[in-house]
Amino acid sequence: MIGSVLIVDDDPNVRRFLRAALAGHGHTVSEAASVAEALHEIAQQVPAVVLLDLGLPDGDGLAVLHAIRPDSRVPVIVLSARGHEGDKIAALDAGADDYLTKPFGTGELMARIRVALRHATALGAGDEPDVLDVGTIRIDQPRHEVTVEGRAVRLTPIEFKILVALARQPGRVFTHRQLVHAVWGTSAADQSHTLRVHVAALRRKIERDPARPRWLVTEAGVGYRLRESANAPDGD
Amino acid sequence: MQGSGRHASLYDSVREPADRSPLRGYGWPIIAVGVATAIGLSAFAYMSTADITMLYLIAIMVASLIGRGPALLAASLAVAAFDFCFIPPRFTFAVNDARYLLTFAMMFASGLVISTLAVRLRRQELRARNEELRARTEELRSSLLSAVSHDLRTPLAVITGAATTLRDDAGHMTPAAREELLSTIVDDARRLERVLSNLLQLTRVETGLVPAREWVPADEMVGAALTRLEGALRDRRVDLDIDPELILWIDPVLFEQVLINLVENAIKHGAPPFLIRAHRQDDHIEIGVGDRGPGLPPDACRLFERFVRASSAPGVGLGLAVVRAVVLAHGGTITAENAAAGGAWFRICLPAATPPVTMTAQGPGAEAAA
Repeated sequence: MIGSVLIVDDDPNVRRFLRAALAGHGHTVSEAASVAEALHEIAQQVPAVVLLDLGLPDGDGLAVLHAIRPDSRVPVIVLSARGHEGDKIAALDAGADDYLTKPFGTGELMARIRVALRHATALGAGDEPDVLDVGTIRIDQPRHEVTVEGRAVRLTPIEFKILVALARQPGRVFTHRQLVHAVWGTSAADQSHTLRVHVAALRRKIERDPARPRWLVTEAGVGYRLRESANAPDGD
Repeated sequence: MQGSGRHASLYDSVREPADRSPLRGYGWPIIAVGVATAIGLSAFAYMSTADITMLYLIAIMVASLIGRGPALLAASLAVAAFDFCFIPPRFTFAVNDARYLLTFAMMFASGLVISTLAVRLRRQELRARNEELRARTEELRSSLLSAVSHDLRTPLAVITGAATTLRDDAGHMTPAAREELLSTIVDDARRLERVLSNLLQLTRVETGLVPAREWVPADEMVGAALTRLEGALRDRRVDLDIDPELILWIDPVLFEQVLINLVENAIKHGAPPFLIRAHRQDDHIEIGVGDRGPGLPPDACRLFERFVRASSAPGVGLGLAVVRAVVLAHGGTITAENAAAGGAWFRICLPAATPPVTMTAQGPGAEAAA
């Protein structure tokens, strides 16, 4: 699943490092240093993945997202600094697929690209499997059954909906708003409090140690992610 | 987990007195004149009018210490009461002897003089305190500059050195040596990132950033921090004692940093097993992080100041300053003590708040199982 990657970042050294890392992993790379160049490249090259820095000289990286969504489904991974959680949420809600917090290691970058590429192909394929497997968690959608390490767990309808939403795209981050929408069909902000309580209850059922989750991890200030393997890419 | 007595008080910043509301302080002149009148009336048989004048002067002096307004009010009240109660003809406001007008004038004058002096004194005191504050800020700024430049330059020097060595290597280096240099670069880049992010958070909180508070289950907050600490903790043991029902009213991003800094501090200066507790105690919430290391250094009261670090372990000493700033911004307190069982114990107290009904009444328990 190797595809071409478009790097959108105005810093030449960041582009240089990303180019070397991506080329080393067999990706072809194209580059853009501004919103205008990015839009041009996306239209011309049709990249498989876009790495998008949010601070660009001729505008916000969000402008790129607003311009290409919803017509283009090309996966977009946003590059952002810690402490800018609001920007990350805005980008994710505007249609970004994931984010990476600068500074990040190549291992983490490659893992995110892999996840984004796989979801893009899965989305294209259309049909969804009845049984979802994420790590040691197995979800049988038609029968509403969930097992963890082979052991059956009883979930409430809402917990089940949350788990299915996360498991449909394992490894991908979901904002509170996206999960609230997936579960209740509304985007009422005050539901996010309720969501946290349901997630906490869900964790108690699917995690061995809910305060040290292996699968359902919290991205503070942003949302939740269901990991594909118990070991996080550690950024090396 | 009671401490052995060494307690670090964290309220060391000078606070300016809060602004008085315009009407506060006007109760005192009324009370003071009332008391003087009461004493005068009950002891009238044994006192001369001169003694009673002195009584009223004391009342005016007391009121003058508060400010000019209260001083003038006290003088007016004193003149009125003195005239009405003691000056013949008594119990009328009429004055037979013109000399008493002079007494009245002197009462006003002493009120004015004393209150003016009091105001001037207070202003001088405030100015002195401000100057002290400015001097401390200046001192802090220069220590910040030198510490930050040191702690940014050291890892930068390591990275530059290791990277140029690798770049200029003409193929003589053993794979093990290359590996070692590469690991140094990665480690020191992370060190840089830690220093910078702590510095950023500290500046943001101390320049008055209002925490973006949300209702967060305690175990989720701890879980998020431990997820990010996976690399740093490796296989060190962390025991958890967290009330699963506890919901906190906090800024999740800032508080994650608090826990991360406390655990990183324990990794650096203490020894495993680490312990994280979170419980509600009556009207407040207590969150604690402890370890089984050597305990606190002797000068523990300076622990939360910037750029103070225990032992010679690497790190800028910014971590605990961030912890304190964030906790204070949440209206809480933090103390450090030695635990009875050994090791250091950091205790955060937050005011308890009641979560919205949606988080409890309609909680997961209220639903039917699938």
